[in-house]
Amino acid sequence: MLAFSLFAAPALAADTFEQTHPKVVKIYGAGGFSGMESYQSGIVISPDGYILTVFSYVLDTDYVTVGLSDGRELDARLIGADPRLEVAVLKIEAEGLPCFDLSKAVKLTAGSRVLAFSNLFGVALGDEPVSMQKGTVSIVTKLAARRGVFETPYRGPVYVIDAITNNPGAAGGALVDTDGCLAGILGKELHNSLNHTWLNYALPVEEIRKSVEEIEEGKFVAERDPEEARKPQRSLDPAALGIVLVPDVLERTPPYVDRVLPSSPAEKAGLQPDDLIILVGDRLIQSRRELVEEMEFVDYADPIELTVIRGRNLLKFTLQSTAGRDPTRGTQP
Amino acid sequence: MRNYENLPSSFGRGGEGGLELAGIIRDDRRYGSHSNPLSKTEGAVFSISKHVLLPIVAWLCIAPTFSAADNVDAKLQAALAEAVERIAPAVVQIETLGGLERVEGNLLGAGPTTGLAVDPRGYIISSAFNFASRPASILVRLPDGERKPAELVATDHARMLVLLKIETDKPLPVGRPVPREEMRVGQWAIAVGRTFQLDRPNMAVGVLSALDRIDGRAIQTDAAVSPNNYGGPLIDLHGRVLGVLVPLSPRASGQMAGAEWYDSGIGFAIPAVDVGRALPRLINGEDLHPGLAGIGLQGPNPYTSPPIIASCLPKCPATAAGLKPGDKIVEIDGRPIARAAEVKTELGRKYAGDKLSVAALRDGRRIETEMQLAAKLEPFQHGFLGILPMRSAEDGVAVRYVYPESPAAAAGIEPGDTIHSLDGEPIADRDKLMKKIGLLEPGVEVLLGVRHGATEREAKAVLASLPTEPPPDGLPPAGVAQSPPVGTEKDGLQVGSVELKNAEFPNEAWAYVPKGYRPEAPCGVAIWLHAPGGYEWSELLARWKPLCDRWNLILLAPKSADPARWTPDETDLVDRLLDQIGSSYKIDPARIVVHGYKGGGSMAFLTAMNNREMIRGVAAVEAIMMGRPPHNEPLRRLAVYLARADKSPLARPIEQIAGVLQKMKYPVTMKGLGETPRYLNDEELAELVRWIDALDRI
Repeated sequence: MLAFSLFAAPALAADTFEQTHPKVVKIYGAGGFSGMESYQSGIVISPDGYILTVFSYVLDTDYVTVGLSDGRELDARLIGADPRLEVAVLKIEAEGLPCFDLSKAVKLTAGSRVLAFSNLFGVALGDEPVSMQKGTVSIVTKLAARRGVFETPYRGPVYVIDAITNNPGAAGGALVDTDGCLAGILGKELHNSLNHTWLNYALPVEEIRKSVEEIEEGKFVAERDPEEARKPQRSLDPAALGIVLVPDVLERTPPYVDRVLPSSPAEKAGLQPDDLIILVGDRLIQSRRELVEEMEFVDYADPIELTVIRGRNLLKFTLQSTAGRDPTRGTQP
Repeated sequence: MRNYENLPSSFGRGGEGGLELAGIIRDDRRYGSHSNPLSKTEGAVFSISKHVLLPIVAWLCIAPTFSAADNVDAKLQAALAEAVERIAPAVVQIETLGGLERVEGNLLGAGPTTGLAVDPRGYIISSAFNFASRPASILVRLPDGERKPAELVATDHARMLVLLKIETDKPLPVGRPVPREEMRVGQWAIAVGRTFQLDRPNMAVGVLSALDRIDGRAIQTDAAVSPNNYGGPLIDLHGRVLGVLVPLSPRASGQMAGAEWYDSGIGFAIPAVDVGRALPRLINGEDLHPGLAGIGLQGPNPYTSPPIIASCLPKCPATAAGLKPGDKIVEIDGRPIARAAEVKTELGRKYAGDKLSVAALRDGRRIETEMQLAAKLEPFQHGFLGILPMRSAEDGVAVRYVYPESPAAAAGIEPGDTIHSLDGEPIADRDKLMKKIGLLEPGVEVLLGVRHGATEREAKAVLASLPTEPPPDGLPPAGVAQSPPVGTEKDGLQVGSVELKNAEFPNEAWAYVPKGYRPEAPCGVAIWLHAPGGYEWSELLARWKPLCDRWNLILLAPKSADPARWTPDETDLVDRLLDQIGSSYKIDPARIVVHGYKGGGSMAFLTAMNNREMIRGVAAVEAIMMGRPPHNEPLRRLAVYLARADKSPLARPIEQIAGVLQKMKYPVTMKGLGETPRYLNDEELAELVRWIDALDRI
């Protein structure tokens, strides 16, 4: 019995390809200069021609066309976009198209074997099917919450893939499981500034489905960007706590405490010279510059939790500046 | 339901993982089926007749890639996840504080990296790449979230590993190594890191691509290996550790080498068993280094040449063990050796301080000896007698010029004399004398047989070190008895301007062969590597033609494919062109020089370092060296000429390079170009050509 299903599998894999590739389209639009390709990928999400893709400069023109697997190239209209998720919905005039059903999308976990369908590097032309790649989900993770790590407004979870799927032109393509069930759409090329590698990933359908449906129905209202941590009017700085740091002489000067001012909050809390500050709250601090920067997000009046390395121990201190008694801030009731 | 009889009877091409998948069927039978991800397949597979079993197992090679509805893929998926689950507690996250932003021109990431617990007492191994920034402080985050300050205990410079230590009350869970004999190319291999998230490892799936890579130090995988998992384990489907992931390159060494191959399908890991073997020394705080023997082997191609020792440094483990040039190595540590490359592999597995037992043949007699490999070799310095030889093939070496205040001068040798023996051994020609003296260091006393006119005498000389200044202008030519020069018609050999073509490279290339070329007077070769922007052949020729004609020198001038820059693989083009010239014209192996300006000068260094076999001089103007120079070798003399202007932004780096090379005992000629950076003027170029002409000094 099982032997039969084993033998059947290659044909089924072919089935997966045959049933999936017609649902993935080639999108042509703006670009074509200085390394910006004028094409990307998309997926058909309704028989009557709604197309889901990523929101990018390629769509920034009145002349966007969609290439179907049967070779037809149709003009497309931008219905709407969610700039926070960087997804967009296009519409072409067509009927009876093979399509993905977003409501039947599957969820993946680390180790899931996946197939990616996209027109990476614009390899497929005319009625040629898009390219299929295989890989494994490396991890399901949120794009690092840290400021400036990834240049994208999206902060939700992604499927990280262990194959080089996110090449020029691939964005908007489909990530499916080995049965051909849709799981996500390939995102734009993203560089990880934490370790200078390129990230291969897809946005899970469940993260974008609501927006996409609202766009389709014409009901979409762009949400306000989740507020980036905003700097308070008056920020904290090391001096306000009585901490004198070592001079900033290197590229990444380690934030060692040079001196602690007498009867300052730092001294009262027990900070000592040569303590190395490594955490503000639970955020890792890798240089003196980062420490000063991080403190700018803490209100002058708020307590701050610092973790230091002293000898071979980690010690945690809570410090508060004397802001409570700051006359410029008014009196407390 | 499909009819399997329609399938081809043989699936010759295996995809990924087949062997291991077949392997887990085997193994899990042994372990029992409780954790067997494929237990349900077992009965089915083994209940069918034997002759269809083979195609099934072969088919499994392909199945995991595509299989869809059947549950093999689901089971495989579960098996992969479970393997990662098993090793996960031993995979830790590493954070670093402070340190450099760039190393060797590469921007370093500050993000978290991965380590693998290898000893319950708190020892964690990781990749040296993760510490290239030389951080001020290191933190280890255990999977439960606890942060621990870590201490860097020791570095393995041979395998690019680092051992960290944390204080811990509870024993760390550690991985189980896969024994070497159980590793099979084609088995599943999962690269595990802990960089995206603290509470969950990240994984990349592939197969074991090769064993015994990088001189036997590494195994190779096609799983995506990158800074996302350097320092983490490469595991098998049981969650056992095949190796520790590190960037490596067969062509370069250093912390950053091989990182350019991240995610390319070429990834390396240090076998876990080797890590285990090095662990006690690393725990002891001992830094480990590659083990050096101090020998040079014969022949240009180590994969085809027999392992015959060509040179031994005067102070090195091999010499101390009694090995000599000419010895043919036949066994190392009991393993038979047939090729030079195998010697490299045997050495590659060893550390400095390790013992190496060697059996060699000398004059047909077997000698056995043992040496202790060294971390550092005393740099070799070439001895110098103080003469320029005539380039004639007469009986002995006729003296063309005697350097003032040289050992030869002190011994009373004069131009026109002939040196016919050294330490009692007859000397037939220049190359023989050069080779003999080349094996000796300054301070060594030699006994020369000298013929002066009709009288013969013996003279003692204590060797000095090679001079860096060229002899004065006006020397007699080094040529041989006159015979008519070959014309263009004879042998179809072209002299003068020659355009060169190479089938493998699109590059344009020109050469100038001196008008008076005669096969019995081999020419020196100057390879000119232009600065960004290329060159105009007619202009170049106008400067070089008279010099080439006078000093019997061939000028070889390739153009970079991209006029704006040279690329490292164009060193192969230079080698190829040199071979081409050498196959048509007689060239003097003692006088082959690469010369370049700006980017071309850096390229000249690269070419010279890559082709130590052929290149005898590198002359770089306003250019810095790329890469690390190899050790100075007795039989591969290399002279360096560096020119720079005072106000050149490169003046300081060039002076530092000179310092490094001098410390390595290379003869370095430094030339000032005045205030502003520029190329050599006519006078300086003429002097450079005299410097080239004098490279066969002995």
